[in-house]
Amino acid sequence: MAGAPTSTRPEPDRVPAAARPATTRPPVPATWVLKVVMAVTGSIFGVFVVFHLVGNLKVFLGPEEFDAYAHWLQRDLLAPLVPHGWFIWIFRAVLTLSLVAHVWAAVVLRRRARVARGPHRRQGMRTFRSFQARSMLVTGAVLLFFVVFHVLDLTTGTQPAASAEFVHGSAYANLVHSFQRPVVAAFYMLAIGTLFLHLAHGLWSVVNDLGATGRRLRATGAAVAGGVGLLVLVGNLLIPVAVLTGLVS
Amino acid sequence: MKLTLEVWRQRDAASPGAFETYEVADATAEMTLLELLDRLNDQLVEQGREPVAFESDCREGICGCCGVNVDGRPHGPQANTPSCEQHVRSFADGEVVRLEPLRSAAFPVVKDLVVDRSALDRVIQAGGHVAVDAGTAPDADTTRVSYETAEMALDFAACIGCGACVAACPNGSASLFTGAKLTHLAALPQTRQQRGARAVAMVDQMEHDFGPCSTFGECAVVCPAGIPLSAIAAVGKERMRAFLRGRAS
Repeated sequence: MAGAPTSTRPEPDRVPAAARPATTRPPVPATWVLKVVMAVTGSIFGVFVVFHLVGNLKVFLGPEEFDAYAHWLQRDLLAPLVPHGWFIWIFRAVLTLSLVAHVWAAVVLRRRARVARGPHRRQGMRTFRSFQARSMLVTGAVLLFFVVFHVLDLTTGTQPAASAEFVHGSAYANLVHSFQRPVVAAFYMLAIGTLFLHLAHGLWSVVNDLGATGRRLRATGAAVAGGVGLLVLVGNLLIPVAVLTGLVS
Repeated sequence: MKLTLEVWRQRDAASPGAFETYEVADATAEMTLLELLDRLNDQLVEQGREPVAFESDCREGICGCCGVNVDGRPHGPQANTPSCEQHVRSFADGEVVRLEPLRSAAFPVVKDLVVDRSALDRVIQAGGHVAVDAGTAPDADTTRVSYETAEMALDFAACIGCGACVAACPNGSASLFTGAKLTHLAALPQTRQQRGARAVAMVDQMEHDFGPCSTFGECAVVCPAGIPLSAIAAVGKERMRAFLRGRAS
């Protein structure tokens, strides 16, 4: 019986069969990496729109306050840590890079999702959450178009996006003149509604993609996602409504 | 009661499939969905026609074999209930019910309502088991596991691998399935030893066959084991953890 096995226990030096590399190669870049890119860049936009809202609401404090704030953003923020006027360009570079990364990751993921789904489309989905998730690409495209319009309208003052009365540096007057055009005000309100759909679901996805598994953390994340979405919706809607009703002029 | 069934018939993976319409005149409210299919097959055999192929084994919701799309929804109209425990009483008398296989590019149709779910097995093969020498069974209480941890691990171990989460996902993602396994195995002392390596192996394998998660939440609605949505967050959590801390536990 020499050499017969005496134990069924595995040899200690045997290479474990498990936790072996995947039998087939994962996609490059990995899906989880793309999800992290979406989550991080999306969070940057989430923080941005909250601070943008704070600035927007200064419109109710009158033209002097609003224009002074706009000037501070453009010239003095972070000075003298960075030279005057630098912050705004650093900030624009970060936002632009985030936007490119966000859209790129979204397109790659969407293509993978479409391949994985196969030819048969899922039917019978009824929840609001599901509607938000399904419309992310559409709401994202609307927001992308809106961002371009918004920059042409109120940053560069390029016709015909901007109003005829656009003057560089007069942020308050530019905003009021822009929103006094009913079609433009309607488009802004549509964009704000779209932003709510995109942001509320996007932030909830951030909670999931960045690995929040704890019960309390998830509940907090869900509340923050919904709360930030609603805050940005209501806060921003006040402004075109105030201009259209003559409250701000 | 009388039901009209539109059933997906497909000879094999290579052939194109199509819906065929049948009537079951003597369905009763207490019949399960599978018993309804049995009744239909009795009729078909009596008429000398080919019965509908579908998978079933335990018929009590623990094996994960059954699973068909009912009106586009995996398993059927009742939430968190496997096909074998869905009942005819969910349908109205005279209703038209559409039955088709679980839909996903990762699940090729074998025949009629039977799909090949090997893609899920490959995720388990990659790391859903213990591959270190765990020794003989330890004496009770030498390695303590808290009641909460044991219950949590059991809750996530409840996954029966039916594949409904994948079929429910408009992205064809297996995040709920993979996340359930990762959560369960990361919670217990023996399996925790390979936590990092397992996360890398399983997530890599999953990403090869399945799509990205977009937090639709549809998976958790149909899951017959009631796996919560936090499982999808575990995929990102475990994979990022492995990336940041290495492949050891």
